[in-house]
Amino acid sequence: MPRRRVFNPLTELLAAALLVVLVLVVNTWQFSLAVLVAAVVPGVLFSGKPRQIALAIAVTAGPLLVSSFLLHGLFFPEGTTVLAEWGPARVTAEGLQFAALTGLRLAVFTGVLLTAALTVSIPELVSTLTHRGWNRRLVFVVGSAVGLLPHVAERSRQITRAQQARGLVVGGSVPSRVRGLLMVSVPLVTGLLIDAAERTQLLEARGFSSPGPRTSYLPDTDTAGQRTARWLMAAGVLGFACAWYAVGAGR
Amino acid sequence: MSSPLTLPATKAARPRTALVAVGAALIAATYLYLVLVQPAEIAEGIGGTSSLITLFGFLGGGALLVAGILPSLSTSSLVLMPLGIALNIAIGQTAGSLGLQIYLDAIGTVLVAVLAGPAAGAATGALSNAIWGLFNPLALPFAAGAALIGLLAGTAARYGMFRRVYLAPVAGLVVGAFGGLVAAPVAAFMFGAAGTVGTNALVAAFRAVGDSLLVAATKQGLTSDTIDKLVVFTLVALLAYALPRRSRAQFPFLRRYRVLAGRTGSAIGR
Amino acid sequence: MIRLECSSFAYDGGPVVLSGVDLAVEPGTLVHVVGPSGSGKTTLARLLAGQTGAGNGAQFRGALTLGGDRLEFTGGPGDPRIDPAAWSSTVAYAAQRTEGQLSMMSATVAEEIAFGPANRGMPAGELRAAVQATAARLGLTDLLNRDPRRLSGGQLRRTIIAAAVVGNPRVLILDEPFQGLDADARAEVARTLEVLRAAGTALVICAPMLPGAAPGHSRVLALVSGRPVSDGTLGQARTAGLGRYAIGTEGSAPVVLPDPPQGWAAPAAAPGVSVKAGGPLAELAGVSFSYRGEGARGQAEVLRGVDLRVDPGDIVGLTGANGSGKSTLLQHLNGLLRASSGTVTVAGRPLGRRTATGRLAGAVGFLFQDTDQQLFERTVLREVAYGPAAAGAGREAAQERARTALAAVGLGHAAGEHPYELGFVERRLVAFASLIASGPAVWVLDEPTAGLDLRGRNRVGELLLGHAAAGGAVVLATHDEAFADALCTRVLELKDGRILSGGARRGAGGA
Repeated sequence: MPRRRVFNPLTELLAAALLVVLVLVVNTWQFSLAVLVAAVVPGVLFSGKPRQIALAIAVTAGPLLVSSFLLHGLFFPEGTTVLAEWGPARVTAEGLQFAALTGLRLAVFTGVLLTAALTVSIPELVSTLTHRGWNRRLVFVVGSAVGLLPHVAERSRQITRAQQARGLVVGGSVPSRVRGLLMVSVPLVTGLLIDAAERTQLLEARGFSSPGPRTSYLPDTDTAGQRTARWLMAAGVLGFACAWYAVGAGR
Repeated sequence: MSSPLTLPATKAARPRTALVAVGAALIAATYLYLVLVQPAEIAEGIGGTSSLITLFGFLGGGALLVAGILPSLSTSSLVLMPLGIALNIAIGQTAGSLGLQIYLDAIGTVLVAVLAGPAAGAATGALSNAIWGLFNPLALPFAAGAALIGLLAGTAARYGMFRRVYLAPVAGLVVGAFGGLVAAPVAAFMFGAAGTVGTNALVAAFRAVGDSLLVAATKQGLTSDTIDKLVVFTLVALLAYALPRRSRAQFPFLRRYRVLAGRTGSAIGR
Repeated sequence: MIRLECSSFAYDGGPVVLSGVDLAVEPGTLVHVVGPSGSGKTTLARLLAGQTGAGNGAQFRGALTLGGDRLEFTGGPGDPRIDPAAWSSTVAYAAQRTEGQLSMMSATVAEEIAFGPANRGMPAGELRAAVQATAARLGLTDLLNRDPRRLSGGQLRRTIIAAAVVGNPRVLILDEPFQGLDADARAEVARTLEVLRAAGTALVICAPMLPGAAPGHSRVLALVSGRPVSDGTLGQARTAGLGRYAIGTEGSAPVVLPDPPQGWAAPAAAPGVSVKAGGPLAELAGVSFSYRGEGARGQAEVLRGVDLRVDPGDIVGLTGANGSGKSTLLQHLNGLLRASSGTVTVAGRPLGRRTATGRLAGAVGFLFQDTDQQLFERTVLREVAYGPAAAGAGREAAQERARTALAAVGLGHAAGEHPYELGFVERRLVAFASLIASGPAVWVLDEPTAGLDLRGRNRVGELLLGHAAAGGAVVLATHDEAFADALCTRVLELKDGRILSGGARRGAGGA
């Protein structure tokens, strides 16, 4: 299935962030639920990789939801309406309500941001930031960190195998685990630092410290319309928040 | 000498102090506001307002810090940052999925702080959580706390806490306590203090004796963050001492403040 | 064009690593800088590239002249600081380690090549044209949309070269551009370099050995221990007797002494390993293997029904193109990979699903292609002693075996050094010593001679013969045909996961 790509990454990420802000401003369970059903679920379904994103959301938010219910459902000293009681643990209506509210918000927070982030193409984001004239150092750190991630994972896998071949047995007692961790991390970090030293020279030689704006090989997928839309969205959410709080304060 | 092939005499780029100061002040103000003003509200559910303030105060403050620090860093510090960030995320993701009481997601930040100094450490911490937010949004609001860890770790390194391997865990303990204090309101006001199985058990225990959510989260932070940073600082000290001399030689910070005991620091004090 | 006069260069107040060099590179010429590991080649390459190490504690005394500009260095703080960006627009540099040569922020080869000009603010249209022109010139057009982190060794080298020359520099410095490449990839890189040279770019190529095939008029500067020992044409260098400095010629047969080298003690048969008399040390029977879950082409079989029997005294060479399954086959011998079907027997016992790889280290020793994936101790001695210590030998006994193994590889003097502070060849030999110290009966070696200098290569050859003579066995994957022909009792060719030819006994051991 082809990857969904409708807007520029910057527009998509900003829209997601503003949606989160809206949820926090409105702060009612009805609105949170509405966003979950009307925005997150379709967003995941039409993302082009629904299973992967749903799994990521479940893995990230799931344990937190469960622990939230356990924590507040059983231990909520502020609660007065006691539904059940076992020793120090008290199930209170207030606690359950609190857990539900927090949990729902958590789910929206994770769902919105992950759906946006996981459908965004990082190279395109990096190129857009370059085209928009963001600080080249910031763009380098972001792009290079994301680019290094698979490299670091792959290298640590290879190093683990190399150390197994010479007698490292994974697992066992705590001291042997610590030793195993060092056997993998010392060659990993040393290798990465030696590479970093060469990359420093490379960046200098490739004119990274040049003054003036950087350009990008990838075409600019951003449009004037989207740029205007971003400002309008941000202004709209800001205006809405001000109005909401003004009305709330007047009540 | 004005050859087109040479650089003019060094003019060290200075951090943009105003931005850094505003960022730090914003973070401090957010923290004070949350701790002093909000706890009363929590009984009837977490206010959206306190979440918003947490998010904007800590993220905005972190962004200002990064904006102030980034232009002043040398290229070698800059190249180190993505490496620290990738290590944070790779190790933090693994530790998180194992459900440990400790997170180990600051190894890269502390490593950068020890090799390149507090400013690089702070920027690494903040950016690390921002980038991690792309894969795990829950990391996002903790950016300011991560920046503080990097800043304090670099400062500890500058004043010799890594010159002896046994001093590093002590520094980790102290830094962890500060980190726990800053992270607690984020955990409480953003996520209702829910975390991994290990941290949750702690919060539950404190709640069971009647603590408020913020106090319970703070106590939990003080417990697990200190242990976590103790382990992280020890690991980083072991890693730093295992580095070959030529790798260490590329970091002027190590040289200038004699961060690590032994051969590197003492050689030619120019 | 460019001239380096180096009266001395030292790191951090340490010993002088390069001195007495005066090298001028004229436009369009080809200069080979050859020398064994630790001879100062990399230092020389970096100096030519304008990296004088100021700020990293290095002291360079001498001068660099580029075009009409002469810069003098006294090793003090008042030295000129070279602007790397300006320097590299005339003199480009491709360093030895490939990973450090990628910006890591490019998702495609095209972006990586565009990195330099983009940093200098070249407008988008010109940028595309420049990248495409360079790619077309160097035959990289098909690779432009590939991920630079997932290229083969030769493709990666060519990408790095393309990224270095996209700004049309007049000189290109290459530090060991052929390291770790097989014959085909070498030829690809060599063709790329020839294209550049024909277009007038001067090339300086640093390598451990004299080139096997190169224009006879190209210039050769030979370095030994940081000093030039020979400077002339390739023809002169070939007859200058550089062999006495351990500088050989690519593709020549190793010189192996018939007697075991001095200090060499045959490893006792691996402790705790009982071998049935007359039985094979290791055996693969009908082994097939496919990697699971690697995208759409996941089910392709890498090995298809391989039979291999390794007896005491065998030195089995595996040859074949990249991707023919050599490494995969090797990794079955110590349980790093488990056969999808068929059986693997090591030391008389079939490998079960649950035999931990770490537990086999005493029976099968494995040398990986990339040594730097395993060194983790702070001294060479502790590094080499790890294997025997992990296998349960006492501290003293482990160190004793480590010392013996270090002496066997010729590194007895380096026991107290930090492994990463040694040169490439020494690091490789440290890894080899680690293998020997564990006393396994079967040695499994992945490209044992890649990147070695003449002395290292000969030493490895002697160790293999010694081990086989003492009743052990060796299985090695190699692209070094001369080495395999001279030493192996059997050379097997792999193609598409099958053993094509084999069994023909040849070479020294079979005579």
